[in-house]
Amino acid sequence: MKKKTFNFHRRQFLKATGAASAVLGGTGIGLFGIRSGKDPMTYSGTESLQGMTQNFNRSKYEVDTPTYKKVGETSRIDARTEVIFARMPRFGQQWDDEKGLDSLDPILKKYYQDHPEDLELDLHLRKEIFPKMRQDKKKYGDEFILAEAWSNAMGAVWPRGYNKPPEETDFPHPKYGRKQPLELESPEMTAKLIKKMGHEFGSTLVGICKLNPEWVYKHPMRGRGFDTEAPLDVPSHWEYAIVVGTPMEWDAFYANPNYGTSHDSYAKSRIVAYRMAAFIKELGYAARAHTPGTDYDLVVPPILIDAGIGEQGRHSVVITPELGSNFRPAIITTNIPMAVDKPIDFGVQDFCKTCKICAEQCPSGAITMGDKENIKGYKRYALNVSKCHNFWYSNLGNIGCRLCVAVCPYSRKSNWLHKTALQVTANDPTGITHSTLTEMQKRFYPAPDVKDYYIPSLGGKNASYRKPPWWLRTRDFIKLKKEQS
Amino acid sequence: MSFFNSGTFWFIEGILCCLAATGFKYWMEDRGVKLTWWKWGLVTLWIAFTGFVLAFIGVSIGENEMQAAQMAALIFGLIAVIAAVIVWRLLHLKDKNTANSKT
Ligand code: SF4
Ligand code: SF4
Repeated sequence: MKKKTFNFHRRQFLKATGAASAVLGGTGIGLFGIRSGKDPMTYSGTESLQGMTQNFNRSKYEVDTPTYKKVGETSRIDARTEVIFARMPRFGQQWDDEKGLDSLDPILKKYYQDHPEDLELDLHLRKEIFPKMRQDKKKYGDEFILAEAWSNAMGAVWPRGYNKPPEETDFPHPKYGRKQPLELESPEMTAKLIKKMGHEFGSTLVGICKLNPEWVYKHPMRGRGFDTEAPLDVPSHWEYAIVVGTPMEWDAFYANPNYGTSHDSYAKSRIVAYRMAAFIKELGYAARAHTPGTDYDLVVPPILIDAGIGEQGRHSVVITPELGSNFRPAIITTNIPMAVDKPIDFGVQDFCKTCKICAEQCPSGAITMGDKENIKGYKRYALNVSKCHNFWYSNLGNIGCRLCVAVCPYSRKSNWLHKTALQVTANDPTGITHSTLTEMQKRFYPAPDVKDYYIPSLGGKNASYRKPPWWLRTRDFIKLKKEQS
Repeated sequence: MSFFNSGTFWFIEGILCCLAATGFKYWMEDRGVKLTWWKWGLVTLWIAFTGFVLAFIGVSIGENEMQAAQMAALIFGLIAVIAAVIVWRLLHLKDKNTANSKT
């Protein structure tokens, strides 16, 4: 009898403990989820130096040919006109309403004659958008005081760019530098060393490829002046490209427009690239850093693809497995012999075919909803750079827009949920998960109406994709005078 | 690293899981249900899915994505409840071997 009672108690006790454990365990899983969602360690690699977050097993997805396709005759990019950051300042300085096209230098004039649609958009920026933006800035600009201050501070440490051509800047100092390059053990060991150094210098991503001369601008700007007629012969010492990349601060980027620009990541990648160039020169080899904001002699996305960093998305930005497109790259051209990486294919091309979220949510309509086109001999999605650029000035705060990066399903935080989704899509040949996840993205993560992103004078509501982080909300910290607010 | 991302957390989760499984076994026995391997399999699958749903909702709350949390609760939560009913009914099916051994 006694034994039975004990048995009864034991069973009851175990059942009650089991029930309590189930409740506790379930609660624990929920709390684990909340913690993963909040965890700053998952802010897409911001925390990571030393390569700890370049943790995607790329070898499984390596391919022999890049994920872009050559479909016709190719031509190198003329940076003087085709790179909007080179074209617009000159257009701004030279344009005269009365003289029209005749007010422009022959290179610009020819470009606009060939591309009247760009002239229309660039004039629209000058005549319509700028005045309205200035007017709205006076009215609503105070909201962005902290964002602008943060962004400018992040860009305050900024290694000075080159003002001489590659032949003069890329080699070790003629007087104090090493006279002969050091003899290296093997290309494999050098690649290993360079990657480790890249991470040590502060980069989250590092990849290496042979430099395809087609990616070098025809008329590079730096150290040569804009008006040089002779196309640049690609310097023979630009044999390899080392790619580095660092993420943008998550909360500011995810809020946009325009709570902070990409200056944080620009500056970090720039510093890493100049450190890498200095390191290589110390070993006696040639190196040149090509860095954000606009100090490039090369077109960047295909080099990132060649180096196995990621694939180009519909929004024209490269998507990486670790950071999505939430990063800013820099490149170092060099002649130090290294083993190179292979391109990767982790399913982005298939995903972008049907996803189109960036195109739907781009306020300026710059991203195509259509199929890939033949652009300068390569099949890729078209991006109307002038439309995109015009939107950069159609919102307040520091100029810019990163909405297409923020809304892309690949740019989610690096927690277990989004990383699992990435692995599933990368390994699904049927495309079923692609459409399921795209649909979920659209229904689970709502976005404002695209018109609302514009300033009020242009018909918008100064909307942001997500609320700005607490530390960028000006009114919580600064007493604004009446006339300021 | 916070407690909820630590090894200690998962160690405790493991212990809670074992205790819950033991309690469940006794409870089912008291209801006259013998848990065969496939029934354990079903229960494990259900627990894994429900754990996923709870963690999904948690992540979304943590990320401040309230619509994602609500949609996950609604869609996946409903699936978990329906699955619970189905699993419950299947657990009470008379297992062939069990039935035979009793006769
Ligand atoms: S940066 Fe903004 S405007 Fe430009 S393509 Fe992306 S979403 Fe569109
Ligand atoms: S939002 Fe969609 S379509 Fe656009 S780049 Fe990202 S995955 Fe591709």
